[in-house]
Amino acid sequence: MIIQTALLVGLVLFSALAILLKDLLKSAISLAAASLLLGIVFFRMGAPYAGVFEISVVAGLITVLFILTIALTNTGEEVRESRLVNIVFPLFFVVFIIIDALVMKGLLQKIPALPSAPETGTFGDILWKGRTLDLVGQIAVILAGVFSVLALFRKRDKHD
Amino acid sequence: MTNTWFLYVFFSAALIGAGLYALLAKRNLIKLFIAIEVISKGVSLLLLATGFAKGNVLVAQALVVTFIVIEVSLVATALAIIINIYRHTKSLDIRKLAKLKG
Repeated sequence: MIIQTALLVGLVLFSALAILLKDLLKSAISLAAASLLLGIVFFRMGAPYAGVFEISVVAGLITVLFILTIALTNTGEEVRESRLVNIVFPLFFVVFIIIDALVMKGLLQKIPALPSAPETGTFGDILWKGRTLDLVGQIAVILAGVFSVLALFRKRDKHD
Repeated sequence: MTNTWFLYVFFSAALIGAGLYALLAKRNLIKLFIAIEVISKGVSLLLLATGFAKGNVLVAQALVVTFIVIEVSLVATALAIIINIYRHTKSLDIRKLAKLKG
């Protein structure tokens, strides 16, 4: 439990760092570190497939996409952020965490546990037989993503 | 619900709160997208934690895998849109997107 809490604290810290850091490259890398910690948390919760997806896809692929975008867009002028934003963020975050902790403490033992049937079968059974419609939706979303990226990067005609 | 569940809800609320703040306050498009990623981490943690607390990890895991796949598709499309916006305006500032010119 202590290790799990430490991992979750690290996850929140790296995510806050990703928001706070001015350098986009550093914030993308700290986002990847946060994903890595989330993947380890998933592994420890007994969800190895979700952990593998989180580490390989979110920490790997999405970070590469972010770094590619940052590399393609770094020649222009710097975006001037308001200075107040980074000063107010720690204050806001501490107040938010305190309110969050108080609400969670208040809710403790008050939410009734709903009955749930124990699970049978393997992950493959549940994914392929129980959530088949989800898989069809996933394929549709991936195709939509591919076509939209193709449409966004297509070469323009001369008369455009 | 067990006490462990509240610990996970606490941390995912912290992630979602931080992401929402950045989404409201930042001006760089890539930074805004990093904020959306932070929110999505909070949501996937909450999904799996609820499954874990209920003893239904496998269903929650299937949902998280679906969520991650859709997230990747979203990221690819959104980053392509950001690169196109950059080519048009030569800047990543969202304030420059407020100027609608015919």
